[in-house]
Amino acid sequence: MESLVVTQAINVAYEVLILAALVLGLAVVMGLLNVLNIAHGEFVMLGSYTAYLVQKAGLPYLAAVPAAAVVCGAIGVVVERFLIRPLRYDPFETLLATWGLGLLLRKLVELGFGRGYRSVDIPISGSINIFGEAYPTYRLVLMVVSAVVLVALFVWYLRAPTGARIRAMVGNPVLAEAVGIRTRQLARNTFVAGTAWAGVAGVMIAPLTPVEPFMGLTLIVNSFFALVVGGMGTVTGLFAGSAIIGGLQSVLTAAVSPTTAYLAMLVLSILFLWQRPRGLFPRP
Amino acid sequence: MASFLVRNGLILVVLVLVPVFVGEFWAYQLGLYFLYALAAMGVGLAWGQAGILPLGQGMFVALAAYLAAYGLLGFGSSPLAYLIIPAACIAVALFGFAFAVTIFRGRSEQGPSFSLITLALTLAAFQVATTWSSVTGGFNGLRNISGLPGLDGFLDLYYLIAVVLALAIAAVDYLVRAPIGALWRAVADNERRLAFLGYDVAALKAAAFAVACGLAGLAGALYAPQQNLVTPDLAGFAFSGDLVIFAAAGGRTAVLGPAIGAIVVGALSAELRDRFPWWEIVIALFFIVVVLRLPAGLMTLFARLKRLSIARSPAPRPSRAPDKPRIAAPLSVAFDEVRVRMGDVTILDGLSVRTGDEAVLCVIGPNGAGKTSALNVMTGALPKRGGRIVIDGVDVPRPRPAAVARSGVGRKFQTPSVFQKLTIDENLAIALWAGRWRGLDLLRPSLFGWTTPLLDEMRRRFGFLRSGAKPASDLSHGERQILELTMALVTEPRLLLLDEPCAGLSHEETAAVIDAIQWARHELNLRIIIIEHDMELVRRLADRVVVLHQGRFLADGSVEEVQGNPDVRAVYVGGSR
Repeated sequence: MESLVVTQAINVAYEVLILAALVLGLAVVMGLLNVLNIAHGEFVMLGSYTAYLVQKAGLPYLAAVPAAAVVCGAIGVVVERFLIRPLRYDPFETLLATWGLGLLLRKLVELGFGRGYRSVDIPISGSINIFGEAYPTYRLVLMVVSAVVLVALFVWYLRAPTGARIRAMVGNPVLAEAVGIRTRQLARNTFVAGTAWAGVAGVMIAPLTPVEPFMGLTLIVNSFFALVVGGMGTVTGLFAGSAIIGGLQSVLTAAVSPTTAYLAMLVLSILFLWQRPRGLFPRP
Repeated sequence: MASFLVRNGLILVVLVLVPVFVGEFWAYQLGLYFLYALAAMGVGLAWGQAGILPLGQGMFVALAAYLAAYGLLGFGSSPLAYLIIPAACIAVALFGFAFAVTIFRGRSEQGPSFSLITLALTLAAFQVATTWSSVTGGFNGLRNISGLPGLDGFLDLYYLIAVVLALAIAAVDYLVRAPIGALWRAVADNERRLAFLGYDVAALKAAAFAVACGLAGLAGALYAPQQNLVTPDLAGFAFSGDLVIFAAAGGRTAVLGPAIGAIVVGALSAELRDRFPWWEIVIALFFIVVVLRLPAGLMTLFARLKRLSIARSPAPRPSRAPDKPRIAAPLSVAFDEVRVRMGDVTILDGLSVRTGDEAVLCVIGPNGAGKTSALNVMTGALPKRGGRIVIDGVDVPRPRPAAVARSGVGRKFQTPSVFQKLTIDENLAIALWAGRWRGLDLLRPSLFGWTTPLLDEMRRRFGFLRSGAKPASDLSHGERQILELTMALVTEPRLLLLDEPCAGLSHEETAAVIDAIQWARHELNLRIIIIEHDMELVRRLADRVVVLHQGRFLADGSVEEVQGNPDVRAVYVGGSR
């Protein structure tokens, strides 16, 4: 019984941390730049396909991380230049444009790879004993990586000069530009960082999920609603949203059924969108 | 009216004659795209007119399709089965209205939140539909649904669908030209202005959404007998997304745009999807181009047929608008220790001030004194943190813009707030209808001809108001100020709030505006509160001056008294008090 509780607790922690890693890129793009990037899941999907190709080419799995970042970052540059910037980073317009972008990326990948599932081998096999329970090592590694990246990024965001510039731009773009911050480049770099990280997250989850053109849709739903519940543009919001949505999913899936978990998440999101559209911890 | 009948009669004839040219198989296929066209027209109406993008219309199609499927099973071959179609349409529309009004009520922010709720709802509906297989048939859906009694073969049903589509096009065509259509476009343009004229914006938006749901319901109700199969896929994310793409690709602002989008994109997709794998990429790219550059979609090609879109109908015969039930006495306002805070900033710090016997009250004070904020808190644009606001002798704990407007308060904002995308005439008409329309008036095109002696007088004074077909966005800043003032005046308020009415006006314009304000005040026996920095204007208009400073009352009296007041001098010139 006790071991079951331990396993469950680790599972919940795993779900939450993985979701937080997936949400991170979207939190940057949506929370800081107000771009409702519905195609974010497709960037994750592209990252997973990059991982698949890297592994198929016989290269070490770690090589997929820079590869996916470059692929998704490069697409991010193009998308920012020709889609997001012409729409002046408007939330509603970018929602529509990235809706079309998501469709486009799905169809392109479908054309290139077909509709079938691709599987990516787990790069670190084996398991580790935790309180007498065996837990897959790769999952533990992912949890550690995710936690380290999140913490490091937030420390950087709050301490580094670039972080301060981003916060200035988010708070008051006109004033930020007036004091010499090059907001156009900064916004572009922030957007590209978000899409590049989505690619890396795709590499992380690729071995644990069927890789297929439509995988982005489920991912975006969870990530998007995690941000809606948590609140945009704050660190607390990202953690709270991931914890609530990820925790709810994981507990209800184990206790009742995946369908119930999914429905509960949607109902919770509808309630938030309706009564508290800015989430629990919004940017002031 | 004649052109309306000709236009829509023509559409009906074309739709009915189609099978003669394309043959029976294509008639069957087209019947399905016509159903998509119905649902897409709903998306176009809500999105292109009222500015609300529904991302989950598939759910409403599915709902009606299942209702119709069970209805057809129940009625069998009885002619009563035909009742299923209007019944499903109305049921879905009412559900849509109730849902939308619940969401919109009490919140004025525009933005993607409603769209995302509809998206989440359709995701949930799809999940429920696939799980609840005892009712929905699960993945395989309900099969072998019987057709409508008395209709044999594809062609009979095609004619029914064609007639329904033609009627729906005519209905949408009528609605977007009717006063309610102008109000929907006003919602999309400037929701706040509409609320401050006293309109129930939530109900207007919900009405647009309900019409969209009704069209989705018609599509669903006919889908069941047309396909003899209903599956949960209708409620899926992909179908709802397709409807948005149809509306966008065809052109969301035109009546026919979404229908053309559904028929063209739908038919081309069916033909080309399998033969030409790049086809869907072309569609995705075209959708992106539409979002970026081509808001009118395919309808751009038919720019010459603009009369099929929302053409400005010829101006109807002028008629005297019904009188507004109105108490002739001016409306009084009293602030008692009102506090407003935004974050850490105190905006009103226990403001106590009341209107007296004077007709024109000028409020002055340095920037940041809380002048505009006082008007905002009184009209419900800012929440108050304490104190009491008494309007016309009634304590109003939580003022709401529309309710305050209906109690007889007109407001002109500091930066002119008009409906930029609407014409001058439409701007004035919307202001005039406020509080005067009753029952089904908003469906009567003759309302565009309404006028009142006051409006005639304003048109006489300000010549530009007579070129009514001009869009308000073409007006100069000063003209927009005057247009908004006129809009506030034609509502015949008992209290008019003017926030720097002459800012940015030329000398002549200022003189003309002061003259008009003087005239209207006697004509309507109304009270006016003016926020102004221009002391010349204050001297000419004010019966009494109130000075605010740092969110508090500082002094009041005549212009001379206030100018002589040492406290006031200290605030304006500095120095010790």
